[in-house]
Amino acid sequence: MHQFVFQQGLSGALRPFPHILEIGVKKIQSIQLNSFPESRADCFRIFHIIEGKFEWCINGKIYMLFPGDTAIISTGTLFGNSKNILEIGSIAWLNIKLGDSRDRLFAAGSNSGLNTGEQQTILKVLLMNSMPVISKLTETARILHAISYELQHQEIGYLTRVSQLTDEMFITLTRYLSHQKDPVRNFPQVFMQLEQELRKDLSHQWTVEEMAAIVGMGSTMFNERVKTFTGFTPLNYLINIRISEAMKLLKKNNINITDIALDTGFYSSQHFSTTFKKLTGYTPREFRTNYLTADKD
Amino acid sequence: MNCIITIELGTNAVRVFAFDLDGNEIGSQRGYCPTLHTGPDYSEQDPDHMFITMLYSLKNLLTEYVHPGKYKVSTICFSSSMHSVLAVDKTGTPLGNAITWSDNRAKKIAQELKDSELGKALYTRTGTPLHPMSPLAKISWMKEFDKERFKQTSKFLSIKSYIIHQLTDKYLIDYSIASATGLLNIHDIKWDQDALNFAGIKKSSLPELVPILTEAGKLKKAYQNSLGLTADTRIIIGSSDGCMATLGDGVMGEGRATITLEDSGAVRVMGARMLEDDKQRFFNYLLTEDCYVSGGPTNNAGSVFEWFARQFGDCKNAFEIDYSIHDLMEEASKVSAGSEGLLFLPYLLGERAPIWNANARGSYFGLNIKHEKKHFTRATIEGVLYGVYNIGKTLEEHRNITSLSVNGSYGTLSLCSKMIADIFNKPVALRSNSHSVSYGTYLVAATEMGVYKNLDEAAKTVKLPDEYLPDKTNHETYMQYFKIFEQLSTKLAPEFEIIANIS
Repeated sequence: MHQFVFQQGLSGALRPFPHILEIGVKKIQSIQLNSFPESRADCFRIFHIIEGKFEWCINGKIYMLFPGDTAIISTGTLFGNSKNILEIGSIAWLNIKLGDSRDRLFAAGSNSGLNTGEQQTILKVLLMNSMPVISKLTETARILHAISYELQHQEIGYLTRVSQLTDEMFITLTRYLSHQKDPVRNFPQVFMQLEQELRKDLSHQWTVEEMAAIVGMGSTMFNERVKTFTGFTPLNYLINIRISEAMKLLKKNNINITDIALDTGFYSSQHFSTTFKKLTGYTPREFRTNYLTADKD
Repeated sequence: MNCIITIELGTNAVRVFAFDLDGNEIGSQRGYCPTLHTGPDYSEQDPDHMFITMLYSLKNLLTEYVHPGKYKVSTICFSSSMHSVLAVDKTGTPLGNAITWSDNRAKKIAQELKDSELGKALYTRTGTPLHPMSPLAKISWMKEFDKERFKQTSKFLSIKSYIIHQLTDKYLIDYSIASATGLLNIHDIKWDQDALNFAGIKKSSLPELVPILTEAGKLKKAYQNSLGLTADTRIIIGSSDGCMATLGDGVMGEGRATITLEDSGAVRVMGARMLEDDKQRFFNYLLTEDCYVSGGPTNNAGSVFEWFARQFGDCKNAFEIDYSIHDLMEEASKVSAGSEGLLFLPYLLGERAPIWNANARGSYFGLNIKHEKKHFTRATIEGVLYGVYNIGKTLEEHRNITSLSVNGSYGTLSLCSKMIADIFNKPVALRSNSHSVSYGTYLVAATEMGVYKNLDEAAKTVKLPDEYLPDKTNHETYMQYFKIFEQLSTKLAPEFEIIANIS
């Protein structure tokens, strides 16, 4: 690939794609001091190593990058080279402005063919990712190359193609990252991670598809595995977590019941009350009163 | 028709079973409730998650088997894992999670206490080895390193005490669970004042101490309604999983021992005398005031098989631990006893009985150019079982053991049972179609109801056929290697320590 850089605001080619902040290819032929100090990424960045060997420090950890490797740097991640230099070689990159809510993958005004659920899931998987360097993911190179081609040639349909390609890039990365968890081999461990994610965001209306995507499984297989592993369907297992969390909150007198319902992921206090009573025998209000009057000795 | 429900509160799951009064299984349910590792050395369980999982599994069991079968639930009886500690405030609200048996945060406190004169005296009186697992060590840890929680605590419960309190409003702890806290004098069955002083607590900070057949109060009205149970349903406190498994296998009286192999394992005997061991190698827990369940625990059983299967198993099919263990056993059966000279020290998780060395590590020994992967597979299984035999052999210094029973998901694998018979040179019996802990719990409930005159009688009705008979030639081969195994386990102690200090 030839060297080039398109930047949002400077290159007209990017105007229709507000989510693409920058895309480029660079060949580094001599080492320049202070060319790559550690700093916080101000957007979501994807790098692909074309040639050379790079030593990068990402979130305090040193990674060696080789040709064919992909680096994924989330917004706010500290990264750079510990000697402040960008080594000799060539790299391609794509900087993306993510959406400002968890329902939107890309910045406002951009087109994506992904539906809201898919966008939420992709964002979740990317935010959870703890593996910034992927080796030998040839897809990244192909997609970056295709985006550059479309932007440089602007043939008929390029507006659609570029949006499709950025979608594809994110689908590819998400699938790769979730498959890395090797859920089939390590189900108990992966399930534990899922449980942590569920607990972190209990107010979210989780769907089985989303949960399955997080562990990197198709939803049919996920359903079966969860049933055999836990004795419950995924949604019923989630209810266990929701109710046990709600019980904790009910024991604290300072949070009102509607807030507890919403915080623990029930869509109304009515829904909360019915589910809670079905399982525990008490309405949330009765449960709280029991606790507050109990053992006042 | 009447039925009995047993509830086992384990560290990974809640298991509920329904039995008719003759001990035939009507149905069962299992609900997953994980152990959380919130920090290095930390193993905890969320008590409310546990409670909801228990209720939900119980409810599913009732609606699936019990109510449609027109059974009337006369008794619900409990068993649970040992050594858990849950601090609650004066309203009964948990202060954080329950700390489970595998938690290691109190290791320093436990070691210091073990090496002291007080430690030796406490071991003799309480029967619980001084180890980070024991609630004595955990509460002392809280006193020192979690002062805020310690100060707010009104009671230190076991996980079972908490669950029972939810159901009946009573704070109770049974003899078995209490005898595994390190706080109970098992000779006069009273809380030990020196142990309480060391932990910095008063008797009133512990639940009321009751025998395992005690009725733990009345089920609250709300649960009667939501579960469809009648007001006269009896809630029996029950015992610990280890004691229940021993009872469930009918290991009453001289000559018998039982081997449990789950992720971890234990060899246990039961009898009217406790085992006194000046090296503090065994536990002595109470089943009743005059019946002790004694033995030694190992850290390295199923977890080691699973580790091996995960790392070196074939990945031809989708990985399911059950299949994969099955493949492992099949591969191991292609090699003759003794793995042609390859030996394995299984101490991947450090070891408790009988070497009690937290720094112990795993090792393959005796490797030569002819060994193949299948030899490693067999050696791994043999190594784990030598570890178990090492416990059994030390027990035999105190008790005469003539026959064995095995239970737990790994112990009952046929190759394992066969190898146990050969290594121990004793016949091995097993319960083929049921779960020993739950069956033991059924026996307790049925005894309380008067189906059996007493637990002795109940245990005697358990007739497990000898499924595996020892092979003398294999036994002799195993013994030659076991000698090396035993020597290496102690000889390497200095090296274990050095490597533990490096990483």
